[in-house]
Amino acid sequence: MEDGDQFRLSKLAGKRTRDEVAAAIRGFTPADRARLESTSRYFGRARGFEPEVLLQEALMRAVDGRSCPDHVDVVRFVAQIMRSVAHGESEKLENQVNLVAIDHFGGAADAACQVADEADDAETQLMSAERAEACKKMHDAIIALFKDDDAALLIFEGITDDLSVAEMLELAGLDKTAYQSKRKFIRRTIDKHFPNGWKS
Amino acid sequence: MKKTNKEQQALDRLADALVDDVFNASDEEILAERTEMKNLSEEDAKLKALFEQALLKANKSRLAAAKAGAAANQYPIMRAPGPIFDIATARERIRALVKAVDPSHPITLAARNENELSDTDILSMYEDLVELGVVPPITED
Repeated sequence: MEDGDQFRLSKLAGKRTRDEVAAAIRGFTPADRARLESTSRYFGRARGFEPEVLLQEALMRAVDGRSCPDHVDVVRFVAQIMRSVAHGESEKLENQVNLVAIDHFGGAADAACQVADEADDAETQLMSAERAEACKKMHDAIIALFKDDDAALLIFEGITDDLSVAEMLELAGLDKTAYQSKRKFIRRTIDKHFPNGWKS
Repeated sequence: MKKTNKEQQALDRLADALVDDVFNASDEEILAERTEMKNLSEEDAKLKALFEQALLKANKSRLAAAKAGAAANQYPIMRAPGPIFDIATARERIRALVKAVDPSHPITLAARNENELSDTDILSMYEDLVELGVVPPITED
């Protein structure tokens, strides 16, 4: 497809063209770049990706492959791609259905029969076990950071248990301002102790 | 099938929360936090270079795809021309074959009714017979 056609189609669909996305990326402010770098560390380390690789991959997909709606901020768009790349790549394995051919003894129809193999192979089991162990270590290391701060620990656990803000406020006995300042403290503590992401 | 473990889910939620916080913080806050830990201008120059590199890579892969597409259009797939058959000769040989065959030998109804077959069917049948070595290939001369 010609660039002119691509431009017209993108505009008709309410999407930014790749040139518009590239221009927006070139126009990012230092704060925008800093946000995306932080995002790459958080998503990258949560899923075992090198932050820099994740960031580059997301930027490349942003200009070539994904379409950014006109109303979506390009910084958030790139952040969202990082999230989906980090989750997608590891979940691809989780959702993969392995099909194995049944041993067949004659008819052609037998050869076409396949069943889903629900069991992981030895390598996958090993990788899953290693990943689970790494996650547990990271989780424990973060908890250790807040062992002397009950409110921070409660909020951390609230986040990881998917509690609502209202529930966390009630649990921690904080007002909204104190809660927000505690969340900022949690993030800054994690950033300081794990400058390359919360790698244990 | 591998399932997301509890700790992985916890880390995912934490990452989502931290990213939300980073996006909710003001530009000043974000830059002030960075200044505490890193040399801001040096760090930003590195990031800027990384971003530019990613854009260049995307352009390169697009260019490579465009080149491959152009090359494919320039040199359409060349197929070896099929052998030239004289259809009348092919019909005649099939007819002769049907006549010459031992009556006890099974011959398909299609082959017996050669005159009802289309030229395409005849050519296909003749090619099969050539492959089986029953009839010689028809040459131009």
